Amino acid sequence: MGCCYSSESENTEQDPERKRLIPNPNPVSKPPNGTDWITTSVPSARTDEQALLTSILHKTAQNIIDVSAADSVMMEQHEYMDKARQYSTKLAMSNSLSQKKALTLPSLTSQPHQVLASDLVPYSDVQQVSKIAAYAYSAISQIKVDAKEELVVQFAIP
Amino acid sequence: MESTLEQHLDDTMKNPAVVGVLCTDQQGHNLGCRGSLSDEHGGVVSVLAKQAAALTRDPTDNPTVCLESESGNILIRSHGTITVAVHKIAS
Repeated sequence: MGCCYSSESENTEQDPERKRLIPNPNPVSKPPNGTDWITTSVPSARTDEQALLTSILHKTAQNIIDVSAADSVMMEQHEYMDKARQYSTKLAMSNSLSQKKALTLPSLTSQPHQVLASDLVPYSDVQQVSKIAAYAYSAISQIKVDAKEELVVQFAIP
Repeated sequence: MESTLEQHLDDTMKNPAVVGVLCTDQQGHNLGCRGSLSDEHGGVVSVLAKQAAALTRDPTDNPTVCLESESGNILIRSHGTITVAVHKIAS
């Protein structure tokens, strides 16, 4: 015990750890009570950290569109106008196509209350449609393939 | 061949109140049409008849779909494998 105290008071300046700490050119990176194994592991940890940071930076860069770089490729005013015109014509074309698709039955009414208040559909009309449908069905059932000539013809190969 | 059907459609159009007639199959393919009803309406007509038939429990009961308006009606009726639509104006 006594040895410990005496040695501590005498060797404060000669302590190997404290001596090495003082001349260190980069003392901030080392912990004040750092040992040898810690001081050697710090640079490798730092490189790992650097590599990680670099990989994160690369990943982020891949996901980012650099607008400032895109702006550097300046587009002329007339190019903008051309593109705008081109897109508007394409839009108009697609709109007209979609309108063509949504073809409706002949327009019947804009005043439904009048229709609802009016008389019922005459039963004679229903009967007439039923008759027309029955007749059309019989007319279609009469359609038959009338084979007049051979579809496959043998060529006379000498 | 289909001359009987064509003749039937023409005869139907001779009716003074009828302004359009259309005949379509179950898939909505147009089999023949006259007047205000044209090729493109085949699909709508066949589907309307099919949906109306789905509402009734009796499979042998063929409903007639009627689209009413103040100026006229469109009546849709199925018979067997075909569906007929007749556009009649108010007389």
